[in-house]
Amino acid sequence: MNKVGFILKDYLVLLMILGLALVTAIIQPKFISPANLNNIMRQFGPLILVALGMTFVIVGGFIDLSVAGTINLVAVVTITLIDPLGQVGALIAGLVIGSICGAINAGLILTSGATTQAEALFITFGMSTVYSSLALIYSGGSTFHFWDLKEMPNMFEAIGAGSVGPLSVSFVIFLGALALLWIFHTKMAAGRAISLTGGNKTAARLSGVPIERSIVLIYTIAGFMAALGAIVLFSRVTTASPVIGAGFETNAILAVVVGGTTLKGGKGSVLRTVMGVLLVILLNNCLNLLGVSSYMQWAARGAILVFAIWLDNRKEVQGNQL
Amino acid sequence: MNNLYRLFTQQKAIVAIAVILLVMVAAGGDVSRIFFSSYNLLDMLNSSTILVILGLGVTLTVIAGGCDLSIGGILVVSGILSIQLQNFMPMPLALVLAVLFGTLVGFFNGFLVVQQKTEPFIITLGVGLLLTGVAQQLSDAHPVPANNPDFMNISNGYQFGDGQFTEGHFPGIPNLVIIMLICFVFFAWLIRYTSFGRNLYAIGGDYDVARYSGINVVANKWMTLVISGTMAALGGVLLSSKLNTGSAIYGDFTALVVNCGVVVGGTSFAGGVGGIWQSVLGLLLFGLLDNAMNVLNIPSWYQMMLKGTVIVAILWMDSYTQKRKRELV
Repeated sequence: MNKVGFILKDYLVLLMILGLALVTAIIQPKFISPANLNNIMRQFGPLILVALGMTFVIVGGFIDLSVAGTINLVAVVTITLIDPLGQVGALIAGLVIGSICGAINAGLILTSGATTQAEALFITFGMSTVYSSLALIYSGGSTFHFWDLKEMPNMFEAIGAGSVGPLSVSFVIFLGALALLWIFHTKMAAGRAISLTGGNKTAARLSGVPIERSIVLIYTIAGFMAALGAIVLFSRVTTASPVIGAGFETNAILAVVVGGTTLKGGKGSVLRTVMGVLLVILLNNCLNLLGVSSYMQWAARGAILVFAIWLDNRKEVQGNQL
Repeated sequence: MNNLYRLFTQQKAIVAIAVILLVMVAAGGDVSRIFFSSYNLLDMLNSSTILVILGLGVTLTVIAGGCDLSIGGILVVSGILSIQLQNFMPMPLALVLAVLFGTLVGFFNGFLVVQQKTEPFIITLGVGLLLTGVAQQLSDAHPVPANNPDFMNISNGYQFGDGQFTEGHFPGIPNLVIIMLICFVFFAWLIRYTSFGRNLYAIGGDYDVARYSGINVVANKWMTLVISGTMAALGGVLLSSKLNTGSAIYGDFTALVVNCGVVVGGTSFAGGVGGIWQSVLGLLLFGLLDNAMNVLNIPSWYQMMLKGTVIVAILWMDSYTQKRKRELV
């Protein structure tokens, strides 16, 4: 009985949203039309990449609110570099900028000796403001379009709209990133060290796990994945604005937590995050099809975030009692 | 050297305020004259009042080792409610209900944070997100205008004068400043001279020790979130009255700025230290910074960057001081 209860709690959010999907499919048959399913697959792109990076931060026992700022900065800088540097150069430059943003966060957290999620939350929020304002200053507040460039950037167009067989290119990028990160997290010493850091920092340090390296790694990965997400995002909409990333940080955290990665750190996996993102996207899609206003969707996301954190915490409390 | 280090780490707000004032003196000419004019100084005080009122409640939660990031959401929802409810009922009742809404949200926060023991930072952020969505739904994402001069007068009126700035004539004291002072005195008393206030320091210092010493930790900590929610709603009502509109957009930045302002003053997220005075100074610093940047004519994006940098620098210092303390022990 207890075991069933645990499994039920572990996947309660999943069951809830699957129920929601079922109800939507009955009320609104458009939900299972090929066009809508294709639409869902394309939405998978940016959010899942950002959320995969966020998974490592949360597993490591920290949090990163700066991904929105990173996405803003990377999007406007990358698109303006396409003309002078060429497409490959711009792509690499964007990814490097994202990684640097992440590394700066890690540097601030390391040098200040912040060990709690709260300290990381506020420092990364401040950095998000800084990155966003840099994006605004750099772009002068204007939006850049593909058709303003000297020639159409074929590679970015392919990232945004191309297909490999039945799968979209962004979905292939996601599968590649997922495979790499999963191997890194489960099979490599540095990846395992991240889980140990999140589980108990003091114990990890005393047993010789380099927690400094873990902190640098998790934030750099988060920055890199945010940059990758930014590139897929602006390729899909063929437009980069300095506020394009707004809301990504909360959606990514929501996806990670809903997937079942615990906010206390130490437990979680990128595969759970995939599930979480699928649920967030399905939820958005269901609410859209049901005609719920975008404001109420915002409120619904907040409510689910609160509920998921509460549930995550209940599991923890019960686990301690056993 | 050691004294200098202590000054910079413990009195961050005073040091930062002194730096800003020095910059404004050094700027000279018209900039200094405008900045130090009685009109500008009073205006600055007036525009910081709402931040201070929010900060008073948040200070209690931070001292008790918690945090409240839902105040931005409470602020906007109660601000919109205070105007929309006036269509159905007399103004005083509408205002009371709007403030009670904050109390209710605070109670809910307390349930989640204290009774259910969730991480306060992330869960109140979620509640704030939820409330921002509700505010947008209520207002249809448009500003909601008020058309009651009495309502507008609550925040914009003056006492002991007519509010006219002419040479050699006392303009009076803005209502907002008076409300802030009353709240300030009440909170200073609450935290210094009541057992509730003293208990908060014990709870923030060490939750378990406080519990074993016979303090009702759950009730006391729960109360801080209720108070903080109530103060946030009061701030929302006053803000709506000041702008004569309710809107869903003011909450985005406010919650984090207020929490940072409280920490800047010297109330640490580690809990157990700090006070009302310190928070007021920390929040006035942000008001001063805003005003100084406006007088200096700094473009808004650069203002945003400067503010972000100040927030990061100060929180970095807060964590660094904690680290030094840990290493000393």
